Amino acid sequence: MSEEVLLRVSNIDVFYGGAQALWDVSLEVRSGEIVALAGSNGAGKSTLLKTISGVIHPAKGSIEFAGMNITKLNAYDIVAQGISQVPEGRRLFPEMTVFQNLAIGSYNGKARAKREENLTRVYELFPVLKERKDQLAKTLSGGEQQMVAIGRGLMSNPRLILIDEMSLGLSPLIVCDLFRVLHAIRARGITVLLVEQNVWQSLHEADRAYIIETGRIVLSGNALELCEEEEVREAYFGV
Amino acid sequence: METLADLASPIAIGVLLGGLYVVIALGLSLVFGVMKVINVAHGDLVILGSYFAYVMSTSWGLDPILSLVVGIPLFFIMGVFIERFLLHRAFRMSADAALIVAFGISLIIQNGAQLVWTPLSRGLMTSYTLESLKIGDVYLPVVYLVDFAMALVVVLAVHQFLKRTYLGQAITAASQDSETAQLMGINPARVYQIAFGIAMALAAIAGVSLALTFPFTPKSGVPFLIIAFGVIILGGLGSMVGTFIGGMIFGLSQTLGGHFLGPTGQLLVPFVMVLVVLTIRPQGLFGR
Repeated sequence: MSEEVLLRVSNIDVFYGGAQALWDVSLEVRSGEIVALAGSNGAGKSTLLKTISGVIHPAKGSIEFAGMNITKLNAYDIVAQGISQVPEGRRLFPEMTVFQNLAIGSYNGKARAKREENLTRVYELFPVLKERKDQLAKTLSGGEQQMVAIGRGLMSNPRLILIDEMSLGLSPLIVCDLFRVLHAIRARGITVLLVEQNVWQSLHEADRAYIIETGRIVLSGNALELCEEEEVREAYFGV
Repeated sequence: METLADLASPIAIGVLLGGLYVVIALGLSLVFGVMKVINVAHGDLVILGSYFAYVMSTSWGLDPILSLVVGIPLFFIMGVFIERFLLHRAFRMSADAALIVAFGISLIIQNGAQLVWTPLSRGLMTSYTLESLKIGDVYLPVVYLVDFAMALVVVLAVHQFLKRTYLGQAITAASQDSETAQLMGINPARVYQIAFGIAMALAAIAGVSLALTFPFTPKSGVPFLIIAFGVIILGGLGSMVGTFIGGMIFGLSQTLGGHFLGPTGQLLVPFVMVLVVLTIRPQGLFGR
């Protein structure tokens, strides 16, 4: 596994509205890893992802991506740097077709040139999307919508893809399929940072994990080893 | 005894007049769809387009339609600047602030036009202004045909732009979910500028159409703004097809209302229809 640190979040404080949501959070994602960020509802997982993708900005601390400081960049500029976010709740453009949703993912200049290539790859990962390419996004099932959301994220030609609550509201069977796809994505050299309420599953799919509680990182390390930790077992698995 | 032949004329005129309404409504609908701001200055911007064509025609002898070669880019750039330096600043405070700024723009245009062009009614006189085509027993004024042709071209062009180009798709995406659009690499501020620019270019086109068809004064924008609202409510916001059909329905009900109820029925009928649609199907006939 490559040791290059692709994303480095250092000591960030983030305020959401008037309230502080993250305290002194640091994390690292190395090239080629699948890293899980696990924790219960309201722990600050989504806030952290939104901060990385530039939707909100930290009050303190810094975020470096591929050696570049992106702390103050706007969300729409960060995409072109190679970070793509698959937002919670999928957030497809409901009145646009599957194809249009995917195509708009390649809006940034660098991705436009690779649009056909990336589109072929997305259709390889999710053949059903090719069949449904002319269907309006809002008419798809939840699982299919999540496929479009991930596919759209891949269309921006990212080096790092942030996936927020991928399994929320989906059947376990579909979730298994989606995790298989994540491994296929990683096999293509794209690094994955995954946010999940489903701590057990995400720890079993990821290489490394961070556990976040009320805005602070409380544990981190090898994902499977974390599963064995007494605190994790007690807090999240109830054993 | 009423015959079908008697109705042919109001029906034909209604449809053609609807074309003019479509072009006026399109810019209003686009700005609302993208920025969620009701641009109350839109009618006045259309009238500004009419005065532009008037100046080009009287001072330079340019045909009004031809003058659009200058008018469209000029209005587009003006729109980008108005959005960037006036609306956007207000927009960052609140949508209400942007609405008030739009009111201000409306007042400035109305009063500015009175200063420059006086409150007197103006009209455009071209070689084809008084011409008519006779089809069967129906006389169709050429300017109405021009209105309709321009509407077709404009609707198709805007539709293709929104559907086929990256920028058009960015506008569509931002109008559906602007936060997620940012995650696609779309800069919403830029999308707003472009959308407002396009709306102004559409106002220039609508202004020419209007000036060819009706006399106008600095205050003429307001009634047309209200008609444009009616069209959008009938057709449904954000739907291109809806705006087109809404314009047709508005024009038709206006001429048929006039035909059956006399001049007082002209605007009564379409606005009653607007009320009916608002009650039964608030999202409009083609709205979602």
